[in-house]
Amino acid sequence: MKDEEIDDVLKKAAQAPQDLDPLVLERIGDLIKPSLRPVRPLPPVWLMAGGLVLVCAAVSLAGAARAGFFGVAKMNLLERSLVFPALGLLACLAAVSFVHRMIPASRLRVSPGALVVLSSVALLAVFARSFRDYHTDHFFSAGIACLLTGLLHAIPAGLLSWLMLRRGFAVNPASAGLVAGTLGGLAGVGMLELHCPNFQAAHILVWHTAVVPVSAALGALLGWELRFRARSAGR
Amino acid sequence: MVRYQEGDFGAAALLIDRISPRLHRFFLSKSMSRADADDLLQETWLRIHKVRHTYRPGESALPWFYAIARHIRVDHYRKSIRAAAGERELEEMSKGVSSAPHQAGELEALLAPLPESQREVIAMLKVEGMSLEEVACATSSSVGSVKQKVHRAYKKLRETIGAKAPRKWRSGGLA
Repeated sequence: MKDEEIDDVLKKAAQAPQDLDPLVLERIGDLIKPSLRPVRPLPPVWLMAGGLVLVCAAVSLAGAARAGFFGVAKMNLLERSLVFPALGLLACLAAVSFVHRMIPASRLRVSPGALVVLSSVALLAVFARSFRDYHTDHFFSAGIACLLTGLLHAIPAGLLSWLMLRRGFAVNPASAGLVAGTLGGLAGVGMLELHCPNFQAAHILVWHTAVVPVSAALGALLGWELRFRARSAGR
Repeated sequence: MVRYQEGDFGAAALLIDRISPRLHRFFLSKSMSRADADDLLQETWLRIHKVRHTYRPGESALPWFYAIARHIRVDHYRKSIRAAAGERELEEMSKGVSSAPHQAGELEALLAPLPESQREVIAMLKVEGMSLEEVACATSSSVGSVKQKVHRAYKKLRETIGAKAPRKWRSGGLA
């Protein structure tokens, strides 16, 4: 059987009379009418994404201001010009992706999973190029402290981002959470780069970079939980 | 759609009249009873109404409607499966094997052998006449993934239509 024949069969099937009860349509109209008032469409994508990047930058700067700008002060010009622009670009990408996730039927250029992988790999590449001290002192104790500090800044950044886009509607809250978590994670890494004076390659490659996937996983979990709760409430 | 966002009830009523049959057929193509499809249609419109500000003027409205309808349908699907048979069955059915008994219409019967994700794509692309890009937007996937699903669906349809009841399907006497 040829594809054209299957097309014909599908068309014939679709043209079959459909007995949608007019009362159903009337009831829908009646339900909608009382609350029908003008609504303001969402702002342009670039504006919302810009706002998200600013929120994340503010969280990173506030955290570093409280803890001290020791990391950025210790960096040389090459390290600064590699690390911060890369973080900025990744944050822009994550912010745009998050905005698209909060608009139904928005065209997605990067899948949420790919965004997490891309962010992590890009950070690894930048850090590997920038930091060449291969000593490893207090690998776990110092590393876990940095991971926790990064996450403590990633969580408010992710939550503030979610709050900023609360007017949007995520058709898939788990993947929206994953992207919000990635964005928050980048804010956490930003704070660590501003603050952490430990330039050992292993420390930065493992523990600083880990903030992004861990934060993304937490975001996805939160999104999944929100959807589960919404579904349970709808029962 | 823009007039609906501006609060024009005439525009809302027109949209309800024009879009509802499509959404209803979309729900029916998922092996769903007519009563369930009616309920989901109503639920979908309530959601559409609630998030109508998320439609961006100038964009194609159809994928936006279908993305919301799909969200409602997935929620309903998971809820009903959980209620019926628990988590284990959910995992099995999400792999794409549909066997829910119901009174099948012509289109539903035709698409019944297909896995859920392929049925959805075929319904949007071939029945509703949406473009590959629109289907990709509505299903939050890539154009390549949509093409792959269509290819697999056609392979399956070729086998089922061609092998089992060629005369019946081709003659148009489906039900």
